[in-house]
Amino acid sequence: MKASLHTSLGPLNLGHPIINASGTFDVIEADRILEADLFSDFPFAAYVPKTVTLKPRTGNEPPRLYETAAGLLNSIGLANRGIENFIVEDLPRLAELPVPIIASIAGENTSDYGSCAEMLAGRDEVAAIELNVSCPNVELDGRALGCDPERTARAVSLARAATSKLLIVKLTPNVTDIVAVAQAAAAAGADCISVINTVHGMALDPWTLKPVLGHTSGGLSGPAVKPVALRAVYLVSRALDLPVIGMGGVTTAQDVLEFLAAGASAVAIGTASFRDPVLAARLAGELRDLMEIRGIYSIGQLSGMA
Amino acid sequence: MEDQHIPASLFDCPVVESRPVGAYRLISFVAREVAALARPGQFLMVRAAGQSLDPLLPRPIGVHELESDLVKILIEPVGRGTISLAGLRVGDRLSVLGPLGNGFDLTGEGPALVVGGGIGAAPLAFLVRALAQRGREVRCLLGFKTRGQAVAAELFRNQKVDVYTEDASMGEMGLVSEPLTGILAEMQAGGPANAISTAGAVGDLRAAEIFACGPDAMLAAISGIASDHGANAQVSMAAHMACGVGACQGCVIRTVDGYRRACSEGPVFAAGEIAW
Repeated sequence: MKASLHTSLGPLNLGHPIINASGTFDVIEADRILEADLFSDFPFAAYVPKTVTLKPRTGNEPPRLYETAAGLLNSIGLANRGIENFIVEDLPRLAELPVPIIASIAGENTSDYGSCAEMLAGRDEVAAIELNVSCPNVELDGRALGCDPERTARAVSLARAATSKLLIVKLTPNVTDIVAVAQAAAAAGADCISVINTVHGMALDPWTLKPVLGHTSGGLSGPAVKPVALRAVYLVSRALDLPVIGMGGVTTAQDVLEFLAAGASAVAIGTASFRDPVLAARLAGELRDLMEIRGIYSIGQLSGMA
Repeated sequence: MEDQHIPASLFDCPVVESRPVGAYRLISFVAREVAALARPGQFLMVRAAGQSLDPLLPRPIGVHELESDLVKILIEPVGRGTISLAGLRVGDRLSVLGPLGNGFDLTGEGPALVVGGGIGAAPLAFLVRALAQRGREVRCLLGFKTRGQAVAAELFRNQKVDVYTEDASMGEMGLVSEPLTGILAEMQAGGPANAISTAGAVGDLRAAEIFACGPDAMLAAISGIASDHGANAQVSMAAHMACGVGACQGCVIRTVDGYRRACSEGPVFAAGEIAW
């Protein structure tokens, strides 16, 4: 018997549970640079482009990257060309993808979420909208809007009022009680919760002993944060009756299996794509093997086993 | 600088040579497609193949030289990634994504002044050879801190290079940027260094042109000298990278038009574009 990898996020059906994390895979650039024909042979079950904001953002001062033990610190700072450019220049091309598009938006204040959601509301190419309320790189103190349940709820309800599209809220782990923030998002109309964004961190230059990143502080991703992410998925999926997208350090099919068992309905790959740009193409098949040797034949059977 | 696009792929490559070259390590591996496609100034995202999560990501490494099916890289072991790469031995395998980046634009016709600093000298061996093959007159200056680094000049096999060291342990003493003004003026004047310059060239194409790779301070100094003399200069910029393919926005360089990605819009930029 062959295991089915089919899964869903509410009304959004996915051929398998593996998608990309926002900001870690640019299909337009990758298709231009790499030999692979990614538009016909796309490895993810949905595509999440890089987060866009109402106005273009240049991003933070470099250096923006530094590798730590089994992890990656970044302080990109939501560099993007703005939602208008995204809609006019990128969306028509992205519509050629054989999978649903989950647009990712962020705001400098709560009202931006409503404005951005409204601009995407009428776009048929967009299957779902991810509200990134958790970028740690916009303010120096890392106080993402998603650190505050009330501001999170306000951003979600403004977006909810603007669109009937599936709303995914991506939360930060840099809070005392992530379940409280998830519940606030759910009460305000979220359809799905995505956890986690990066974990606050910093690194010093080994010689000068000064902060390496131009922004001083950044967000940690990669295998180093997997236990933090797994716990967040476990807690949020138990507390809420909403589908959860799990992410944070997912690098192997075993990791995917564990995130699904912890309660995720889909799993996103981020930093691991930098390590191995063809990883995603292998993971679905490897996941099926890991399910079958355990006698698990559907994602539903696996989900929440932990 | 070159617009023509060459598709990159991921390869698993056996190491066939690994030997110390002073403070550096020369690694040669079999990568037929990369050897067939790569241009001077392009780079590869390279890591030891395998499951180890530390180091986690590949490192951007310039192509040092090509030799039939072999690709050669020179590694300066300074951080967790490069120390791991320098530990590779014959029979080990490398995960290689490439060739990536724009590479140097070789289409000029004037004399070329190639300047390297430290490990930045590594990709210039391939460049010097390619420029010479195009019939361009080439003069090459390499600057290093110490003799341990400067022995890398031996890798520029048949090319004559002038070596400078900061501690006078090899070649001339001083920074490689110091003699540049005089040499550039000499080349522009069609002096001795220009004796075999290409005949029949016209306009700006015939002007002396600088190609440089090395520390930012060296590149900034070279850029200033080039600008003072009205010379064209192409500089290869280094940055920490994660994806190497334009996705993560991590490797940006500050230019006069804002941030540009070293991986997909560089690593070679016109010196005048950089906001030094």
